[in-house]
Amino acid sequence: MASSEFTQATEAQAQSLGFEPGVVYVPHPIQDRTDEEMRALADQAYEQVLALIRRVG
Amino acid sequence: MDAGRVTGVTDGFVLVAKRDCPTCVLVAPAVAEISRGSRPIAVYSQDDPAFPDGLPGVRDDRTLEASFRLKIETVPTLIRVEGGREVGRLVGWERNEWRAFTGLNALGEDLPEWRPGCGSKSVEPGVPDELELRYGDVSFQARTIEVAEGDDEVEAMYSRGWSDGLPLVPPTKLRVHRMLKGTTRDPKEVLGLLPPDLRPITVEKVAINAVMAGCAPEYLPVVLAAVEAALMEPFALHGVLATTMFCGPIAIVNGPIARRIGMNARGNALGQGNRANATIGRALQLCVRNVGGGRPQGVDRSTLGQPGKLGFCFAEDEEGSAWSSLAEDRGFTRDANTVTLFAGDSPHGIVDQQSRTPESLARSFALSLRSVNHWKLAQAADAILVVCPEHERTFKAAGWDKARLRAELDGLLKLPAAEIVRGAGGIAEGVPAAALAERDHVPKFRPGGLLIVRAGGGAGMFSAVIAGWAAAGSVGSSPVTCAIRD
Amino acid sequence: MQLLDPTAETEPVRRTRRAPPEKIAGLRVGLLDISKPRGNIFLDRIESRLAAEGVAVTRYRKPTFTRPAPAELAHKIASEVDLVIEGLAD
Repeated sequence: MASSEFTQATEAQAQSLGFEPGVVYVPHPIQDRTDEEMRALADQAYEQVLALIRRVG
Repeated sequence: MDAGRVTGVTDGFVLVAKRDCPTCVLVAPAVAEISRGSRPIAVYSQDDPAFPDGLPGVRDDRTLEASFRLKIETVPTLIRVEGGREVGRLVGWERNEWRAFTGLNALGEDLPEWRPGCGSKSVEPGVPDELELRYGDVSFQARTIEVAEGDDEVEAMYSRGWSDGLPLVPPTKLRVHRMLKGTTRDPKEVLGLLPPDLRPITVEKVAINAVMAGCAPEYLPVVLAAVEAALMEPFALHGVLATTMFCGPIAIVNGPIARRIGMNARGNALGQGNRANATIGRALQLCVRNVGGGRPQGVDRSTLGQPGKLGFCFAEDEEGSAWSSLAEDRGFTRDANTVTLFAGDSPHGIVDQQSRTPESLARSFALSLRSVNHWKLAQAADAILVVCPEHERTFKAAGWDKARLRAELDGLLKLPAAEIVRGAGGIAEGVPAAALAERDHVPKFRPGGLLIVRAGGGAGMFSAVIAGWAAAGSVGSSPVTCAIRD
Repeated sequence: MQLLDPTAETEPVRRTRRAPPEKIAGLRVGLLDISKPRGNIFLDRIESRLAAEGVAVTRYRKPTFTRPAPAELAHKIASEVDLVIEGLAD
């Protein structure tokens, strides 16, 4: 899981390692969020996480 | 490529030289003289663009691209170009020749009459292959896999599942290019469809796996023959791979090629330490893994396997042998280069240090041969009897050739039906009563099922049996022999 | 370094992930905190959502976000859980 600032870095690392990543991005910035905002980001990302760890259909 | 196209000179001269060559240094004034003449001269320096000193417009050929394209082997080389084509070249310095060549009758007045040239940098050891790769017509069908700078290429190969467990030699383009020089065959040639996935395997794919296995280029023809043998229908590669039993492909090499590429047929022939023995068998298995897609926990269901499945290859010891070679037994001439492929287990040693007669020794062999697969099984597997030189000497002294030994063993290996039937001796395994029919005895091996080869060091009375897959012949695998082509 | 592919080239060059399981209830999921500040709040929330689905969660922490996870940590995770989620990179 990574903030949206990491899309290029993730792609570059995937290319160099030769692996498709299972990645979920959350909106940047992170550091100045309140605890409540952090939990909300987690809630928003949760469905995408499930989609990567559990096969659909 | 035309000299004109390489150099841009349509009518004139081309000189290739290097500072690190006393003759090139010597002729520098003569080169300067030519450059003051009416026809242009393009001067290439292989190591220092400031050489020859004071000469303007010297072309930097430190990449050796021009030297490669002009096929330079010696420096200095002086080429005359007319109409964009090379019409002649001189190598080294010979004053009369250079004068006639250039039409400059006073050329090199102060120089000695002649001096030999030096080797061109473009033909130093290892360099031609690199230049061919960079500037020549070399292309590969296989796709390239990038390993990021800073990443460990050995780990990357493990992570991609290419390995049999041991480290691999990275198959760079340069290595594969060099490997392919070991054969005259076209890299694009398709040898067949390799089980279990039935993928086309080309000479190029074999070369890539041979590089990974650690083969030298001169081994490639043997590896190709081993793959061709594995593709032969009677060998039944898919079955050999997929079985729950022990076997793997064992490659036995015959003919002068064995010596030429440094194979081991003598001491420790079935063991470690010899590059050709260790890597040729490995290359075949890597092809099966990587191109054929056959691997343990996949199509390979072997319960235990055996260490030879990493690779098992040796040469028969033909020198000084009184016997026919395995190749001759299988219908080839003694000077033919062949690979015989056998689906087999690990060697089982026979210790007999007491027998002085061929009869006694043959009985020892028969005891061990009887235990192939199981003491009470017959007509299931083939086997290889590897006879060491000290044991062969016992037979030779008594005038026994292979045929005589085989006849003796056939007699000794008629297994009593009462002993081998299921249930006999309180052992459930054995030959079903129905299969025995009314026979008193059953031969252990099917006709032609016992291969005899000579190998091993000069000291030691220790021969070996290699059991075959308990599915020989049309129900399973038969040994196959393939000629080795350059 | 460029290597020539020794395989039959039936797989893509960039390898796909292993197929995920059909059900996660009853499985054990590891949450690996890469140790950037605030990440733990985020992962706490992921943990409680997973727990609500009947998934057992084990928490792990990298010593520092500046380096890849140490080998022993990777081995520990691999032997203790079925799936792992790592975060939060920012």
